Amino acid sequence: MEKDQVDMDPNRLLPAGSEDVFYGLVAEYDSPGSLVLAAEQVRDAGYEQWDSHSPFPVHGIDPAMGIRPTILPILVFAGGITGTALAILMQWWMNAWEWHWVASGKPYFSLPQQIPIAFELTVLLAGFTTFFGMWGLNKLPQVWHPLFKRDRFLRATNDGFFISVESKDPKFDRAATERLLRDAGATAIEEVHYTTSTDLRTVPRPILGFILATSVLAMVPFAFIAKWRTTHSTEPHHYIVPDMDFQVSRRPQSESSIFPDERASRTGVDGTVARGELRDDDHFYHGLVDGKWASTFPPQIELSERTIRRGQQRFTIYCTPCHGQAGQGNGMIQVRALAVGAAATGWVQPTNLVDTAAQANPTRQPHGQLFNTISNGIRTMPAYKSQIPEEDRWAIVMYLRALQRSRNASIEDVPPSKRPTIR
Amino acid sequence: MTSNDSPLAPKAPPDKLLLGPAAARLKGLGLTAGVVCLVIAIVWGVALGDDMRRFFHSYLFAFTYFLSFALGALFYVIIHHLVGATWSVTSRRLAEIVTGAFPALFVIMLGLAVPLLLGSKSLYLWMDHDVVASDHILHAKAGYLNAPFFAIRMLIYFAVWIGLSRYFMKGSVDQDQSGDPAISQRLRARSGPATIAYALTTAWAGFDLLMSLYPHWFSTIFGVYYFAGCAISVYCILALMSFALQRSGRLVSAISVEHYHDMGKMANAFTLFWAYIGFSQFMLIWAANIPEESTFFRPRMFTEWKWMSLALILLHFVVPFVGMMSRHVKRNPPFLAAWAVYMLMVHALDLFWIVMPAYSPDKMVVHPMDFLCLVGVGGLCLFGALAAAGNVKLLAVRDPRLEASLRFVNQ
Repeated sequence: MEKDQVDMDPNRLLPAGSEDVFYGLVAEYDSPGSLVLAAEQVRDAGYEQWDSHSPFPVHGIDPAMGIRPTILPILVFAGGITGTALAILMQWWMNAWEWHWVASGKPYFSLPQQIPIAFELTVLLAGFTTFFGMWGLNKLPQVWHPLFKRDRFLRATNDGFFISVESKDPKFDRAATERLLRDAGATAIEEVHYTTSTDLRTVPRPILGFILATSVLAMVPFAFIAKWRTTHSTEPHHYIVPDMDFQVSRRPQSESSIFPDERASRTGVDGTVARGELRDDDHFYHGLVDGKWASTFPPQIELSERTIRRGQQRFTIYCTPCHGQAGQGNGMIQVRALAVGAAATGWVQPTNLVDTAAQANPTRQPHGQLFNTISNGIRTMPAYKSQIPEEDRWAIVMYLRALQRSRNASIEDVPPSKRPTIR
Repeated sequence: MTSNDSPLAPKAPPDKLLLGPAAARLKGLGLTAGVVCLVIAIVWGVALGDDMRRFFHSYLFAFTYFLSFALGALFYVIIHHLVGATWSVTSRRLAEIVTGAFPALFVIMLGLAVPLLLGSKSLYLWMDHDVVASDHILHAKAGYLNAPFFAIRMLIYFAVWIGLSRYFMKGSVDQDQSGDPAISQRLRARSGPATIAYALTTAWAGFDLLMSLYPHWFSTIFGVYYFAGCAISVYCILALMSFALQRSGRLVSAISVEHYHDMGKMANAFTLFWAYIGFSQFMLIWAANIPEESTFFRPRMFTEWKWMSLALILLHFVVPFVGMMSRHVKRNPPFLAAWAVYMLMVHALDLFWIVMPAYSPDKMVVHPMDFLCLVGVGGLCLFGALAAAGNVKLLAVRDPRLEASLRFVNQ
């Protein structure tokens, strides 16, 4: 305990112009249980400027110390609400105000798709408020706290349990307070002093320099971003991460210095056919027989109900959005186009595929012509040959024939046995 | 800190721990109310002349509502053992008593399954063979959605639930006599597999009983949604039971404000969980907007039911989540009990919102039948739970962690 006696010497190594101040007493207890019991006695003695210190949260210490409930929950709630509001406002500004962006056909300002962001930001700001609010309310960090001058106290983060009472407490009395702490079961009691000298309380220069340097360096990227956002340049980009921006391969229709004609797109070598690309069956691939639209189905296509069913399914997937379930040109696209007033801007209704009186009259067109229309499109209808294989295009034609037949059927088309069931 | 060095001296509670003659009165009340209300409901259902459709929908609503209490209580018991919880020791016996309702719920379930086996089309669309034959999706699902397999699955679920609840109840009651800590260890070891069995059966029961009302629709999260309601209801019913028992002079010192605080925390947390799951289910379907998924939300967004959907968001999430957030509310047993009653009411609204659009997709219709079935099924469950409990103590008096639980504090 020689060191303690030296520490308690008020004249020890004091810099000029500073004086030693008696901070208070710190008492050690041997278990969390005795800490709680001691805290109750200090509380009951009426002290106010005191605290207890333990390596981990001790159940029951709050009431034992008579601590009033913290306002932190209210701050956290406010932080959470702020996060919710901020997230909604941010998304409204981004999506519905500053930059109109259609996401999956939903309105610009659509609450359901904003909830996940709002949820995350609520949690984030509530979490930040908890963390920094706790620091603020406890006036942390306090790296110069006088208690740290006692070596014994350093065990408060390991296995020591302490109560400290400050001398500025109105109830504080050097002898009486020590007696109270000792009677409450303290295993050791020490005085705590600090000095008013500011020299001993300044941040070491290397640490200060490091903080200053990192703070300045952290601003550099933002400075560059600010500059780049407000200036124009004829210089090419700085490629920080070039990734695959520069490649040997060329885009279609672009230039290339390798070939004499300077075209990057090359045609096939004369007299060769790419594997699987030999489309010399005009009937099957182009719907042509002897240069005219085929009026029969190619032999590869099986004339069966199975093919018609396949065609029905493909028709439902690819054709009904415009032409409708019954091929009458009244699919959802048409319904919506009318609903948003597209008729006034030159909207053309999709062709009625089953109407014998229609201008184009697809009921009279040969199979091959219908096949060609599906393959290559017509007027505003796009080509579907890249999406639908030949077999399925023929199956759609076959189903379309059945559809046209059924939409223009007479009573003679119904088998005699079934006729009585029709009214 | 560990419980051993707490300065607060442990005391065995000198409480009144038996229901006594009150049990017989409650049983009689439950049985009478149950039988009378269900008989009136059945007669009324026949008189409506709608092929018993209204009755069966109300009956399913009431059945799934009280099933969620028992399932929640089973969850409470299993999780208690699984995590080795301390705070819930003092209220665990109450949850075990609630799980005693499973045999009664089994009998009530027969009221659904037997008519299905006899070919009733009043409840589930997949029972209508004409519809199924002409409907590609239902035809493809017919191997799963058919009356015999439905009945078999129900038998499996109830076998698991009754088995688990009786097993954990028996271990707990045996410990009342022997005080053997090995029982706690054994129950803890069994609680792992029990959790898996519980999760699978609860999720699938949600699919079979409720989701199959809309056989074209599917949502893999639906089982969790039903479970969220189960979990909310158990913490509410336990808070309510504790409050009522303490008012009648039982368990007065065994259940402290700290235990109420934790029940309230869990109820509040599962309120958020319910909203989280419900919103997750909604947002994926809403964002993708494909026909076979959006059929469930279409009537709930574009018909009269939308008012109930909005009411659910407000009353089942916003109001109770904010209202129960403060610790002062949760540490005030009368306040917490009031919130518990409120949550149990909006939980009924939630199930009503799931079941009834199947009966009437366009119009929001509330019928006295719904209340008759609620009281009827609830009465039978009350009778069943008390009959199964017998003269059991209301507290696990010799649980090794009871002392620590009595001394438990939140701060």
